[in-house]
Amino acid sequence: MNRTPRLAAAATASTLTLALALTGCGRSDEAGTTADSASSISEGPATGTVEVWAMGTEGELLPELAEQFEADNPDVTVNVTPVPWESSTEKINTAIATGEVPDVMQVGTTLMSGFVGLDGLAPTPEDIDSSAFFPGAWETTEVDGTSYGVPWYVESRVLYYRTDLAEEAGVEAPADWAGLTDFAAGLQDAGAEHGIALQTRGNSTALMYFPFYWQAGGEILDDAGEFTLDNDAQVKALEYYSSFMRDGLAPPVLVEEEKVQNFIDGKLGSFVSGPWERANLLTTAGDDFADKFGVVPLPADEATASFIGGSNLAVLADAANPDSAWKFVQFATDPATQVDWFGISNDLPAVQASWEDPALADDEAVAMYQGVLETARSTPAIPTWSEIEHELDLIIEQTIAGDLTPEEAAAKMQEAATSIGTGLD
Amino acid sequence: MAISARRRRTGLAAWGFALPFTILFAVFMLVPVASSLYMAFTDMHGADLRTPWAVNFVGFDNFAAALADPKFQQAAGNTLYFVGVAMPLTLGVALLLAVLLNSGLVWFRSVFRVGFYAPVVTSIVAVAVVWRFLLQPDFGLVNSALGLVGIDGPRWLTDEVWAMPSLIMMATWRNVGYSMVILLAGLQGIPRDLYEASAIDGAGAVRQFRSITVPLLRPTLLFCAVITGIGYLQFFEEPFVMTQGGPLGATNSVAYEVFNQFGFGNYGLSAAMSYVLFVAIVILSYLQFRLLRTEK
Repeated sequence: MNRTPRLAAAATASTLTLALALTGCGRSDEAGTTADSASSISEGPATGTVEVWAMGTEGELLPELAEQFEADNPDVTVNVTPVPWESSTEKINTAIATGEVPDVMQVGTTLMSGFVGLDGLAPTPEDIDSSAFFPGAWETTEVDGTSYGVPWYVESRVLYYRTDLAEEAGVEAPADWAGLTDFAAGLQDAGAEHGIALQTRGNSTALMYFPFYWQAGGEILDDAGEFTLDNDAQVKALEYYSSFMRDGLAPPVLVEEEKVQNFIDGKLGSFVSGPWERANLLTTAGDDFADKFGVVPLPADEATASFIGGSNLAVLADAANPDSAWKFVQFATDPATQVDWFGISNDLPAVQASWEDPALADDEAVAMYQGVLETARSTPAIPTWSEIEHELDLIIEQTIAGDLTPEEAAAKMQEAATSIGTGLD
Repeated sequence: MAISARRRRTGLAAWGFALPFTILFAVFMLVPVASSLYMAFTDMHGADLRTPWAVNFVGFDNFAAALADPKFQQAAGNTLYFVGVAMPLTLGVALLLAVLLNSGLVWFRSVFRVGFYAPVVTSIVAVAVVWRFLLQPDFGLVNSALGLVGIDGPRWLTDEVWAMPSLIMMATWRNVGYSMVILLAGLQGIPRDLYEASAIDGAGAVRQFRSITVPLLRPTLLFCAVITGIGYLQFFEEPFVMTQGGPLGATNSVAYEVFNQFGFGNYGLSAAMSYVLFVAIVILSYLQFRLLRTEK
């Protein structure tokens, strides 16, 4: 009697193993399902229920916008589910794998390729005009030549600096690379411990660095989709980026958490960040601090460039109500709605026409971003990018520490990227 | 015939009773373990989530790739360094504290017990904030204290050499309370008359500790060593919240590398890495059992 349960347990286990072994394994030869030719959006008002997943602040504020859509389309109900950013990737992956998906989803610009790799997103219908958006923003929707979503809101990186220190030092906001070096040195002479802060290590170091590479004329991928990371532009940009740390103009190892406080205390002259930082500074230091800092575009070298981020709106491949879902996306990316949404959430519009509106054009702190966004770019939308970026973070860190020369680092970047591949086969 | 029929019926009844457990065990334990093992031998990636069976078997390729990967090697070296220093340190400090609490300090025993155990139950996020303040190079408490005696403290968390010792310090502080409480219980289980008898025979405190306390505490020590060893080999939270594995990979651990590779969608490779870690845990636990088992 004693043996039976154990035997049976063993039998259960081996059945499971057998089941695993017998189920057909091995990849099928067909090279991924090619995207269905983009459909078009029907005429007339939206109907039925549209399920929307949105993350973070957008998830909390979106119902306000959805009410307008419901008012325009009396037969539609929009259900917004807020999803925390931290758990969004797993939640969406699970949803796609099980087919229990919403109709519309907010997707961070750098996360597109992963969901497209799972065949989770529907191609964008041709009714949506790509030229209405900032080109860098539209590019984030394209994976391997096909667009799978529509830019919703954008953000870009700019230079924050202490105007009082700049005035004291008699330096003007920089327009080119040499200017930025002098500018940082000037702020330092005027009393700052460091003239500028640049990210030196950890996640997203590459995102801070790449604008300089683009400014130097570099490209991450060529037209054929091959990596082009080992070149003179890379050497030049790495040399320039690390020169700030080497020459004592920037902290050799930046502690991110101390950056804002040091800036407020006047110990730090300038730093690179996105539009959200303004609100952050004013909350931490009080509204009076607004007179003490200015915001300018990053300096140019061969070209002007910054990093563009933000979120796209995508319709799921398994959406239950795709037609109304696209109508909702169309509504949310309409120039007038984008201005309303800016009023609700402070998210910068991805549609270029919205920037003509006085709500944006007359606000100097906001209008400055328009020019930046026109030339801002994103990292390639390839499924392996997060892994490549992790490698690049480490290589940049080693270059700043002096363990690699810029030449060695450029070669290593190319080697790391090609060995990981684009994942697009 | 009759007997075998009854036996079969009893057998079925027994299975009926065991069924709820068996099903739960199979669904929540066997299937995940089997599927992670399956993953380790295939080239599964993030994009295969919808079609987990349409992947190729690659034999031991993932294991070979993991072992040949310089980042994994560095992570393995870091993990061994961490376990090699932090485990003896934690057990040593825990034993010392337990003996001190057991011998005197009767009045304050519960105060100390709570004090040393508090870090164990505190959230790592809160702990990380406090430790980052403590280790802050310019005005942190640690460097300020060192400055008083004329030592110029290092930049703890951002220095390649000092980042790991900082995390070892923090992990020891966090985990010492757990072992201490267990060891204290073990100490209180040792009969007092043994000490009295040995005292009559002329044994001093050191001799008593070596000949009575340690031998009788062996099973408890073994338990603490195994639990601490398993926890420390899976070293993840400290570098995750404090250093992100840096600087220059100096605090990257095997578990952290597994986490990263899963994040990159390399499911096959990361599953293989976690089985390498599993084997390391088995080996370490086996060695501890050999070293600390009670002599018969």
